[in-house]
Amino acid sequence: MRTRLIAITGVLLLASAAGARAQEAAAQQPPPVQQPAAPNAAEQTWLGLIDLGFRGSSTSGDAARFERYRDLQSGAASQINFNRDTPQFNVNASAFDIGLTDQRYRATFVGHGIRVKGGFDSTPLNYGYGTQTPWIEASPNVFTLDTAERALVQAKTAVGVPQTVADLSKVSIYRTISPTFDLSQLRQTGNIALAFDVNPGSSVDFGYQSTRKTGTQPWGASFAFNVANELPMRLDNWTHDANAGYEFSGDKGMFRAGWAASFFDNNVKDLVWDNAYRLTDTTPFDASGYSNGNGPAQGRMSMAPSNSLESVNAMALYKFPAHTSLNGALTYTQMNQDQALIPWTINPVIANATVYKTFPELASLPRPTAQAKVDAVNALLNLTSRPARNVSFSVRYRYNDHVNKTPTFDAREYVRFDAVPEETGGETEQFNITENTVDASMTVQVAPYTSLKIGYGYDGFDRTGRAFSNMADNAFRASIDTVGNQYVTVRGMYEHVIRKGSGFSEDAIEEGGAQGGLRFYDEADRTRDRGTLLFVVNPSDVFDVTFSVASGRDTYNGPGHEFGLLDNDNTSYNVGLSLYPKGIVSVGANYGRDHYNSNQASRNANPAGSDYGSWTDPNRTWTLNNTENVNNFNLFVDVPKAFGNKTNVRLSYDYSDSDNGYLFGGPRIQELSQNVALTPGDTKPCAAGLTSCFQQLPNVTNKWQRLTAEFSYYFQKQVGVAIGYWFEKFEVTDWATVDIPGQAGTARIDYLGEISTGYGNRPYQGNTAFVRLLYRF
Amino acid sequence: MYSFRYVTRAGLAAAAMIVAFAATSRAQTPVGYVGESTCVTCHDNQQYKGTAHALTSNARTPASTHGCESCHGPGQAHVDGGGDKTKIATFKTMTPQQASERCTSCHNRGSHALWSGSQHDNRNVGCITCHNVHAPAGAKMLKAKTEADTCATCHKNIVNKQYRMNHMPVREGALSCSSCHNVHGTQNVRLLKTGTTVDEACTSCHAEKRGPYLWEHAPVANACVTCHDPHGSNNDRMLVAKQPYLCQRCHVTSRHPPTVYDGFVLQNSTNANKIYGRSCVVCHQQIHGSNAPSGKAFLR
Repeated sequence: MRTRLIAITGVLLLASAAGARAQEAAAQQPPPVQQPAAPNAAEQTWLGLIDLGFRGSSTSGDAARFERYRDLQSGAASQINFNRDTPQFNVNASAFDIGLTDQRYRATFVGHGIRVKGGFDSTPLNYGYGTQTPWIEASPNVFTLDTAERALVQAKTAVGVPQTVADLSKVSIYRTISPTFDLSQLRQTGNIALAFDVNPGSSVDFGYQSTRKTGTQPWGASFAFNVANELPMRLDNWTHDANAGYEFSGDKGMFRAGWAASFFDNNVKDLVWDNAYRLTDTTPFDASGYSNGNGPAQGRMSMAPSNSLESVNAMALYKFPAHTSLNGALTYTQMNQDQALIPWTINPVIANATVYKTFPELASLPRPTAQAKVDAVNALLNLTSRPARNVSFSVRYRYNDHVNKTPTFDAREYVRFDAVPEETGGETEQFNITENTVDASMTVQVAPYTSLKIGYGYDGFDRTGRAFSNMADNAFRASIDTVGNQYVTVRGMYEHVIRKGSGFSEDAIEEGGAQGGLRFYDEADRTRDRGTLLFVVNPSDVFDVTFSVASGRDTYNGPGHEFGLLDNDNTSYNVGLSLYPKGIVSVGANYGRDHYNSNQASRNANPAGSDYGSWTDPNRTWTLNNTENVNNFNLFVDVPKAFGNKTNVRLSYDYSDSDNGYLFGGPRIQELSQNVALTPGDTKPCAAGLTSCFQQLPNVTNKWQRLTAEFSYYFQKQVGVAIGYWFEKFEVTDWATVDIPGQAGTARIDYLGEISTGYGNRPYQGNTAFVRLLYRF
Repeated sequence: MYSFRYVTRAGLAAAAMIVAFAATSRAQTPVGYVGESTCVTCHDNQQYKGTAHALTSNARTPASTHGCESCHGPGQAHVDGGGDKTKIATFKTMTPQQASERCTSCHNRGSHALWSGSQHDNRNVGCITCHNVHAPAGAKMLKAKTEADTCATCHKNIVNKQYRMNHMPVREGALSCSSCHNVHGTQNVRLLKTGTTVDEACTSCHAEKRGPYLWEHAPVANACVTCHDPHGSNNDRMLVAKQPYLCQRCHVTSRHPPTVYDGFVLQNSTNANKIYGRSCVVCHQQIHGSNAPSGKAFLR
């Protein structure tokens, strides 16, 4: 088979080369092609900029968020760019922030039928500089806790993980042994891409990229409802991506065949950590250990498994007469993951012969490795035709098939939270998805510069493991575009989409323990209306005004849809102004406002048959309305090459805020608010002594502003100086971020039911100033 | 069952057909060309030096073929007409599709191969909507200074999301729109550059979430964007809604998932750990999939 493939590929290469030679011969006919211009002095010279200087930063508040994806530490700052363009080749090389954690290097060469592009990128992701943890990483991803403190906590002579409001008045014993550390990760990517023209009509290309992620990231690692933890999980993984392809193009079309692969290799296979609630394993195991914390002394979980993806693909384009073309692509993909599985549990109280007598399936794993595999096929066809200047047609068909071939894994007996063996696990379920998409449209030029398009789209899904085995979107679209007019551009679109599911199985929902009236919003029957309008006015060459609005509404209105997401809508306005007189100065401003609204419903109930009937009690139903308003504002003033090409000035200001509200409603909220049972047989919802046990949440808000100012002056033709200033301020209020009372901005790592790292959303204010020497050539 | 062998054969057969078509084609004998030196006599400000179009070492560039007339067509009639604008192809008077047809006569492979019929092509967006060969303001011959500025011309509400509290490193300059999208047409949805599904595009960088896992989470197997907004969000981890309420949009079961997680619980109960900080995923950490035998509820 392999020999035959090589032979066929060879024949194709030869055939394409022959075809290309034929074209070369045709191209040699008169008139003569352009003669290479005689290189002038400028073309032989390197152009570039060396920008070296000093940067000083001062930050108050959450400095890590200020530096979220960048390195703004005080010290050297650098930016270097070399460029050389000749009639034969273009070369560019650049470096940014040399030696810092956000350093970047790029180099490209284009010419002589070769295109080479390479680079190295380093991007930090800084979570927190003042995060804390009592766990010590004894070995990679094995986190231990001091045994003396754990013994005190287990004996309940000290507060470890706060359980009650009374506990909050004390300091957890773990807070006292938690040093601060930097919680951050670093992503470093090196890549190279090479394309070589075999002849004018064909080329081969290769690419390789290596990505390494190191550092730590916040990670949940819990034992029970009342013992949740957050650890600085160790990151140490590589991803290697490679691709190769051959392309041929001629007057009539093109063809490409390619291969791509990605290999992810995680050096951290699992995570082991000590229980902050206990020093010793509860012996024998407590069947309620997953909720009351009487579980193991240690837990273990599997980390992201090493895996691979490989694909072969073909792409082709053929041009027919009458401005008609057909293009398409076909890709076959395989994903594999065969990581060794960790045991059912690390808890020796469960992993022993005595327990195996009751739970025999826990004595061994059904198989030692994951044996996970997915095969996928994707096919795309686009047919477009413009038989007349005023009319065009387009039909697009896409087929995507995702087949999960992972053998079922029997986990009907399993171990919850390393604490309790149970028989409620079940078997693994693989989700297969087959998608068929058709889009057809016709465009008619109805007036000068103006075209009207109407279209129909079908997007059908066949899936396994879902409540609806099939669902389909039927979309009707109309758009109008006025483009090419010197003074006005108008683009408008309206879309009405009806999604209907079939093959619904309420059993599939109820088997998962959910309410029969639940519909998952990614498959539920839905009506969607969306529209956009863009309006640009260019009264003159130096001035334009832009207005745009986008609005949409999704209503989930299928039969029996009672719970889950019910509807959501959004509206976005933007108005912008640009002014650029005579190329001396350019000024731009934009204001945008976004509004989002959603409604969802749920029911606070116990399982059917376990009480008076809360499962079906409509008075247990509650709703949540979520509304968010966002404002954006951007302004820039750019004065390039002012004062005799000696000075550049650039000012910019960016602003964004958000106001996010959560409004609970429904009869259950009335019950909680007034401590009443609206349905006979139900018990009062609040603890004894309370008249109410409900409180609306305050809005979550944030406001971010950034001001940048840069001024450069060339006191000689090639030598200049630049100064710059960045100001950034972030304000945030978020009930999900817990601080020590009276110390806003200082994390409390020991709050109800959890020992965390303290990572959260906190305000900052940052100032960065630059002084730089510029040398251009 | 899909057979690698049959797919490969089909691809090679298609290749052979196209190669045969193309190899037999012949360029038309061009007539009426005047040469670039004549053009710049009047249009001296319409240069393209220093760009990829000017490379004489590449046999396909304008500089190697007919100069200005490679794109604008033969200019003899235009010259003879004393500069009559109706006697030469002018991109300003073309429809976007007509202009794109000229550009894609050369730019018909690589990332441009699927332009025809793509979402932008279908919405009357042409090459010259975003690019300017003679006076670009930004890299890649863009009319605007940056990619984001280019995209913001129509997609301002999307580009604005980079300013939200949680965002990809776009406003920091480490990523740009084209890091994920190929605006010239792709075989994926939403003009995603890599892979054939949303998930494959996302996991081309976030490979640790690619799996396939022993235990899969249904919405993850379908599309990352069911829960995340990759353009930016004011919710942690770029979620489309804040936890635990995002999770509660689907998990309407008994006991703890559909509890009313309000301000009272936040201040008075150990169940507060399901509201603050990591919320649901402090326990269900393996939400993207678990490879642990006991990973049924994504706890391990």
